[in-house]
Amino acid sequence: MTAPGHPQARENRSGLVGQSVRRVEDDRLLTGAGVFVADRNPDGVLHAVFVRSPLAHARITSIDVAAARRAPGVVAVITGAEMAEMTHPFPPFLMLPGLYTPLFHALSADKVRLVGDPVAVVIAESRYLAEDAADLVDVDYEPLPTVASIAEALSPTSEPLWAKAGGNVMMDHTDTFGDVDAVFAAADRVITERFDCPRQSNQPMETRGSLVEVDAATGHLTIHNATQSSHLLRWAVAALTGKQRTTTALKRFITNKQRRRAFFAGAKQFVGTNRDGLKEQDNAGPLAQLKKDRSFLGHMNKIAVGLLGKDDYPTVKAQDIGGGFGSKGPVAREDIALAAAATSLGRSVKWIEDRTENLMDGGQAREESLTVSIAVDSDGTFRAMRVDLIIDQGAYPGFPIGAPLITKMMKVMFPGAYRWDAFEIRSRVVATNKGRYIPYRGPWANETWARERMIDVVADALGMTPAEIRLHNMIGADDLPTSMVTGPSIDETMSTKQTLERALELIDMDQFERDRVAAAASGRRLGLGIACYHEAAPGPPEFWDCIHPGTGMLTPEEAHTTVEADGSVLVYTQQMPHGQSHETTYAQVAADELGVRIDDVTIVSGDTDRTPFGFAGTGGSRGGPIGAGAVRTTAREVRRQLIESAAGMLEASPDDIEIVDGNIHVAGVPARGVTVAEVARRAADDGASGDLHGAPFEVADVYNGAGDGGWSVATHVCIVDIDLGTGLVTFPRYLVVEDCGPIIHPAVVDGQVRGGVAQGIGAVLYERTTYDEDANLQAATYMDYLVPTAMEIPEIEVHHLETLSPGENDFRGVGEGGMVGAPAAITNAIEHALGARVTTQYLPPTKILELAGVIVPG
Amino acid sequence: MKPAPFTYHRPETLDDALDLLATHGDDAKVLAGGQSLIPLMALRMGRPGHVVDIGRIAGLDSITVGADGDVTIGALVRHEQTRTSTDVATHAPLIATAMPWVAHRAIRSRGTVLGSIAHGDPAAEMPAVVLATEPTLIARSSSGVREIAAADFFHGYLDTALRADEILTEVRFPAWSPNAVGAVVEVARRHGDYALVGMAAMLTVDGDTISSAALAYFGAASTAIRVPDAEQALVGATVSADTFDAAAAIVSAELSPPPDIHASAAYRRHLAGVLTVRGLSAATAEIGADA
Amino acid sequence: MTADRLAAEESAGGSIVDVALTVNGRSAPVRVEARRTLSDVLREDVGLTGTHLGCEHGVCGACTVLIDGQPARSCLLLAAQVDGAEITTIEGLAEPDGTLHPIQQAMMQAHGFQCAFCAPGFLMSAVALLADNPQPTRSEIREELAGNLCRCTGYQSIVDGVEIAVRRMNGDSSGGSS
Repeated sequence: MTAPGHPQARENRSGLVGQSVRRVEDDRLLTGAGVFVADRNPDGVLHAVFVRSPLAHARITSIDVAAARRAPGVVAVITGAEMAEMTHPFPPFLMLPGLYTPLFHALSADKVRLVGDPVAVVIAESRYLAEDAADLVDVDYEPLPTVASIAEALSPTSEPLWAKAGGNVMMDHTDTFGDVDAVFAAADRVITERFDCPRQSNQPMETRGSLVEVDAATGHLTIHNATQSSHLLRWAVAALTGKQRTTTALKRFITNKQRRRAFFAGAKQFVGTNRDGLKEQDNAGPLAQLKKDRSFLGHMNKIAVGLLGKDDYPTVKAQDIGGGFGSKGPVAREDIALAAAATSLGRSVKWIEDRTENLMDGGQAREESLTVSIAVDSDGTFRAMRVDLIIDQGAYPGFPIGAPLITKMMKVMFPGAYRWDAFEIRSRVVATNKGRYIPYRGPWANETWARERMIDVVADALGMTPAEIRLHNMIGADDLPTSMVTGPSIDETMSTKQTLERALELIDMDQFERDRVAAAASGRRLGLGIACYHEAAPGPPEFWDCIHPGTGMLTPEEAHTTVEADGSVLVYTQQMPHGQSHETTYAQVAADELGVRIDDVTIVSGDTDRTPFGFAGTGGSRGGPIGAGAVRTTAREVRRQLIESAAGMLEASPDDIEIVDGNIHVAGVPARGVTVAEVARRAADDGASGDLHGAPFEVADVYNGAGDGGWSVATHVCIVDIDLGTGLVTFPRYLVVEDCGPIIHPAVVDGQVRGGVAQGIGAVLYERTTYDEDANLQAATYMDYLVPTAMEIPEIEVHHLETLSPGENDFRGVGEGGMVGAPAAITNAIEHALGARVTTQYLPPTKILELAGVIVPG
Repeated sequence: MKPAPFTYHRPETLDDALDLLATHGDDAKVLAGGQSLIPLMALRMGRPGHVVDIGRIAGLDSITVGADGDVTIGALVRHEQTRTSTDVATHAPLIATAMPWVAHRAIRSRGTVLGSIAHGDPAAEMPAVVLATEPTLIARSSSGVREIAAADFFHGYLDTALRADEILTEVRFPAWSPNAVGAVVEVARRHGDYALVGMAAMLTVDGDTISSAALAYFGAASTAIRVPDAEQALVGATVSADTFDAAAAIVSAELSPPPDIHASAAYRRHLAGVLTVRGLSAATAEIGADA
Repeated sequence: MTADRLAAEESAGGSIVDVALTVNGRSAPVRVEARRTLSDVLREDVGLTGTHLGCEHGVCGACTVLIDGQPARSCLLLAAQVDGAEITTIEGLAEPDGTLHPIQQAMMQAHGFQCAFCAPGFLMSAVALLADNPQPTRSEIREELAGNLCRCTGYQSIVDGVEIAVRRMNGDSSGGSS
């Protein structure tokens, strides 16, 4: 189903795009020939183990590493204090109004703030020996009162984690759109409910890991790392390690003509391309930070000058990565410690996080409290919404992106696909003695959960069905063009209403009601839940500036497409694939655009020496819209150049020439053509050689998606079947109707949707990063953190609409939505089944039977 | 997550193994399948100085049926072996019934039945099967052989009657009565996990009258546990839904299971009752009960 | 292995053992600390890194290999325990001429995996399942694969892949459509 009236009929529909072609990646991944970071074992590599705090909150009174240093196979033990001499603290990255971001080092020296806080690193000849020595590090702790919950953190008497924060509330800011007070006063009813989402964790099957190789001759670092963003890691390591005196750094910068020139050229280019974004930066955020802690200015100064004074930045390389779901985007403290340790030893060092470490501080998410008030008229018309959001960011803020930016994403997306006159959200971020809160697949997703939950609450209060109230308030084709109350414009790609209508067609409600009655007779309860959302993938051009002015400049993405002298095509991307099948999908896009076979195209990623710069890496459902857009744009230009070159050889007008299967010929006369390889060889022989990669044909371009619109939308409907004897929940049916525009690779899209839904099922029924009242982690192994298996995840039906957008490249992102929609649909279905209000996202069997009134809450 | 160093012993004979245990006592651990011991060591929650790998000792890996139908299982018999054994299915069917609940295929192919019993995890299936079927447990040490009654074997959380110098070498399950029926039922958070609560039931039934009953629960206390009052309520009663409900009520009233992060005490107590009905119904399904 | 590592291991206080493994049909004798798990020995001492470690405590199943034809978690075994055994890893699934095992072909056809970090364990579990039960139902496949965790796919495509392999191994060379 496509929106009518678009001039650009899918020109590539007959090509590779749109087909589930064989995955390029599978040749190695299904034969054991993939290379993940843990698989690299260079000769003489040393192994690191972090000594971690067993206490959630304590002062370090002494640390004795003498015995560890004497242990067999130990090469070095570096304490927090020693690490602080070698590295800069992590600085504030995005200074938002009302936010204080504490500064912290790679290892803790004076104080520990969570169970698992690293206080020293042991480097030894094997992981076994390093663990032996880590056991011998003797740390004396003086326990401090712990902060284990949002409620405790809000208390003015809670022990502050960060001395300069003035309490444990790290951010407090309210955004208002429209005259909320007046609309609330005028509405027929106001309905309020609080929703709490417990802590979850991303849990990719491959943990984090890094191998820092040191070139013995030059000291150059090559970092193999399971990172979602190789360039970000490169710059972070360059910025935070190799600490030198400011005067030394400045002198080195001033005396290095080449570096000086490169710096000023780069700065000029940056300011030139981001003039508008830079203008939009306001000072409220930095001023808020300054008020609490002036030290960041000095540190940032030293970091900046240190970067200027460096002749050599590390190379980051990543090949195969075993999933991330957001957890491998942030730069980890361990990444910095490892690079500093390897530099100081002049030897290669490897750290592969173990699962317990990963569960302690490899990334946690979603712990949020959301109080939602909806002002609604008696006929079910939504008028305004007010939200009080509190995020528990744990002990150390995610770097560079954590809870504060996520409050801004939630702010923009909270109103969803519905019409509102006004909206207000108060966003607070608190610190507790728990693991790092970081982005997890659809980091803003709890806006969808709380909103869609709340809409069912409102429907219930008004005697409407969940479908009725949604259809009544949802923005439809008649409303276009319009915009969200929070700013972003809405075009026809926001087809949420069509997905809901389609989903309702796919459900036989009469049959469901009959099944429901039959189930009730045998001690079971059936329920049906609906959730609808749209997500910015990539969103309209102004989307990021609605999140926070100035962040829009992070959107553009560069790609390079080259044709080598042998006719092979290389596509260089800053994307960092870790399961999303870029090597296949980008090859489909490039091959179609160029007219070559998919086997002729190779995607190059992960190597910062070769790939274009970009901090975004892979994340944010950008791979389809922005990344593939850059691939398509550059490939199109390469094709133009190939045809132009061939025109002379063919004695024909470029307008008459086409490229099919690598053969360049006048349309309809394939027999009298030349091959791409012949054209490339001739160009190479004529001396053509690109600046970036030395290829005879080479195009580099930045694509920003501006004007291409791009909402990715879906409706999830699920039926749950609850056994009142056991509290176990099963899914007789789970269906998703999604619209991510034209699909590059249907099997990849279905896989992304299903994987996201599986994580949503995990979130509601199985997974919880449990801490006790003293902030001790209770789920530190896979016996206790329950990733669901093939027996818990049902068959998931995925249906597609493929609404075209008016833009040039209308692939839209699909990586996150499954996870965004699922918790809402499931909790709505459970409330429907039990007839009891569901206000938490985590519903293990005990909670189910408590809600059902079968057992008494304990 | 790597084990701490230890001295590794791989004796070829049982006597050698027992001598090693006699020498090293509490500092030694017996390694058979290793499916419980190795993860504890990897997490460094267990740090034995000596590991005595009994995997090469001949004669411990057999399932033998005695003249009167009793079944003896040796220390190296793997879970998977009992799952596929026709002898077990015929003569000790409750073990076969329990097996699909035990972890996963790749664990069952290494883990040993006796290892699971000796480990004594209160949420595992085999200790409850032992309590329900009342086999004789045979422990050997360098000072001799000891026969331990099932009822005397489980002492507390991961604590059994076995001494540090002993190996549980055989467990002899009594002959399965022609009138006996049984079932193992459980609820776990995920398929293959340790149970939140489970039950192993063995009844003998004459016509539709229950003549004996053994109900053993796992995940419901610090060890697997029987509920004698509920069993007594069953004996002499007819197979019926009312009978099972009455037993279930006693079970829920008498058990006081511990809470943990996966389920509350109230949930477990309720579930023990539900599983009582479901287990008894499953056990008697072929008797034509209306339960 | 470096001389430094060996020397340090000898003074670490534990036993050093000689282990004769046969991996994918090839003899692979190693001299290692007795505490080394089979998974670490395969990956670091034998050099076969296709077997992955996801949790190291026996839950995720990524390290599943076949030992004398039986599936087992290589993280839950000391290499010393399987001295003399025949071990099959993912690297040993294809024929010597490179022809892929039907399960590998089927997973390609089904687009079974995404990041595929878990794939080695799933493939070995699937091979073991098909050896035990050449015609499993869809629910039997799900049950047998429940010992392996995947975080990317929601499992459906993996189950599809096993079904295709079943059809291929039972004579339907097309494997049918996924």
